[in-house]
Amino acid sequence: MRPAADAGTVLATRALVSGYERDLPIVRGVDMAVRKGEFLLLLGPNGAGKSTLVKTIAGLVPVHSGAVLHQGADVTAMEPHLRVRHGVAFVPQTENVFTTMTIHENLLVAAQVLPKDRRAGRIADLCAMFPDLARLKALRAGQLSGGQRQMLAVARALIVEPSVLILDEPSAGLAPKVVQEVFANLKAINAAGVTTVLVEQNVKAALAIADRAIVLVEGEVRLEGDARALGDDAVMAELYLGSRHRKAEARP
Amino acid sequence: MTPQVLMDGLVAGAMIGLGAIGITLTYSILRFSNFSHGEFLSWGAYLVLAVASGLGYLAGGPAGPIGPFSFGWTLPVALVAGIALTAGLALVVDALLFGPLRHRGSAVIILVMASFGVALTLRSLLEFVFTSKPVYFTDALQIARPLGFGLRATPDQLLALGLAAVLVVAIHLLMTRTAIGRSMRAVSENRQLAGIAGIDVRMVIRTVWIFGAGLACVAGVMSGLLVQIRPQMGLDLLLPLFAAAILGGIGSVPGAMIAGLIVGLAEAMTVQLVGAEWRAAVAFVILVAILLLRPRGLFGRPE
Repeated sequence: MRPAADAGTVLATRALVSGYERDLPIVRGVDMAVRKGEFLLLLGPNGAGKSTLVKTIAGLVPVHSGAVLHQGADVTAMEPHLRVRHGVAFVPQTENVFTTMTIHENLLVAAQVLPKDRRAGRIADLCAMFPDLARLKALRAGQLSGGQRQMLAVARALIVEPSVLILDEPSAGLAPKVVQEVFANLKAINAAGVTTVLVEQNVKAALAIADRAIVLVEGEVRLEGDARALGDDAVMAELYLGSRHRKAEARP
Repeated sequence: MTPQVLMDGLVAGAMIGLGAIGITLTYSILRFSNFSHGEFLSWGAYLVLAVASGLGYLAGGPAGPIGPFSFGWTLPVALVAGIALTAGLALVVDALLFGPLRHRGSAVIILVMASFGVALTLRSLLEFVFTSKPVYFTDALQIARPLGFGLRATPDQLLALGLAAVLVVAIHLLMTRTAIGRSMRAVSENRQLAGIAGIDVRMVIRTVWIFGAGLACVAGVMSGLLVQIRPQMGLDLLLPLFAAAILGGIGSVPGAMIAGLIVGLAEAMTVQLVGAEWRAAVAFVILVAILLLRPRGLFGRPE
């Protein structure tokens, strides 16, 4: 059954099939709808197609069939930079900042999408939101720690005041304490009204901050529902956490 | 060794540096060695010559020289038109060949081979239209004037040095202080990230062709003004251009100019110390040495 795409839907995919090679689809007919202000979590085992799905939405992976809709408009054939201008912001898992540029230059590059008279103000807003970035703004992004880099990547994406912020595993490679900080930031950003789509492997922590979750398996939507309820779902535990649960149970 | 070697090397190096800036920009952003870049120098020189001749014809005869220089008003006017025409030529080549190959996701070696094809085609077209006979912007003979410390230079040579200095500073400022410069650096570092940061990557690529070909045109005109114009001039400069771009560090504008001056000085010293027949070998030796000792060049970033 297709999810309802009403007036409150910010982002949707319709029978989306995509992948890097024509005869090898990774995302296989995904229908999803993200409502305004919602915090949607995309879960699934490795190779389920989560990253490919969000990269397809950002315009980085070829669409074989189906459609990506943003604010009701079909953006399937739109180039990535135009999707950003349309309000779709994406933070990749790796290589998500310009390492040879300073923090300030990274923000300036992103702010170029905005009219000239709004750029400085918007950078100031982001610096107020992430005081560490303001303090280190002359530092090259390549010199930042993993957590600071994620912070910069998120700030870079937020500069354009997107209607939807999509993040691909922002916790990957970060220390647990830094992960908590990143998730707290994401929750605060969502609470401020930015619709958020998060791909995560850190299931427990992510379910705690999300409103709703979709579980992808082999490129298809296998489960969908309220994030908290899904955390207790037996099918989900078997699908996604199965091996880990079994290992835990097997321990003496 | 006479101090004049310094002046000869700097003048040759300024031309090499300007050409190398185009190579370094296209390499860092398009990620392939464009062996047709030398032809933009030749085409730039011939296009400026054609426009200047046309303007002279319309004005009823060759324009008299400006001040101490060997050329009249038609040359600077034609240079502006020539820069635009050479940039247009580069954009046409990209639209017809490199663009479709990029879009198809062709391997780097395909693009490099294609650039060889473009070089041959453009050079043959020049020979077909203008013949292989050397031509000159002006017949006027300039006497080198003493500058002190045993150095002598013609006004044209000093102008070429001054123009190269102004252009390299302008391009460096453009790359570091302007939105388009930051976009170029962003695309150079990570094309995909640049796209999702809102940068129109195609527009940046077009801009790079315009700057690269425009600078090649200026270098070609300098070479034509100080030496002569031949269809082979770009090919002859190609190795020094690549040596300078790699020595300076791919992507570094000041690096390309400094390395161009180093290559020019090394060539001039070799001519005096070893012999003119070894001039062409210098760039090759520098290229091999830098690839062995410091592949990222003097100012390049580590991969």
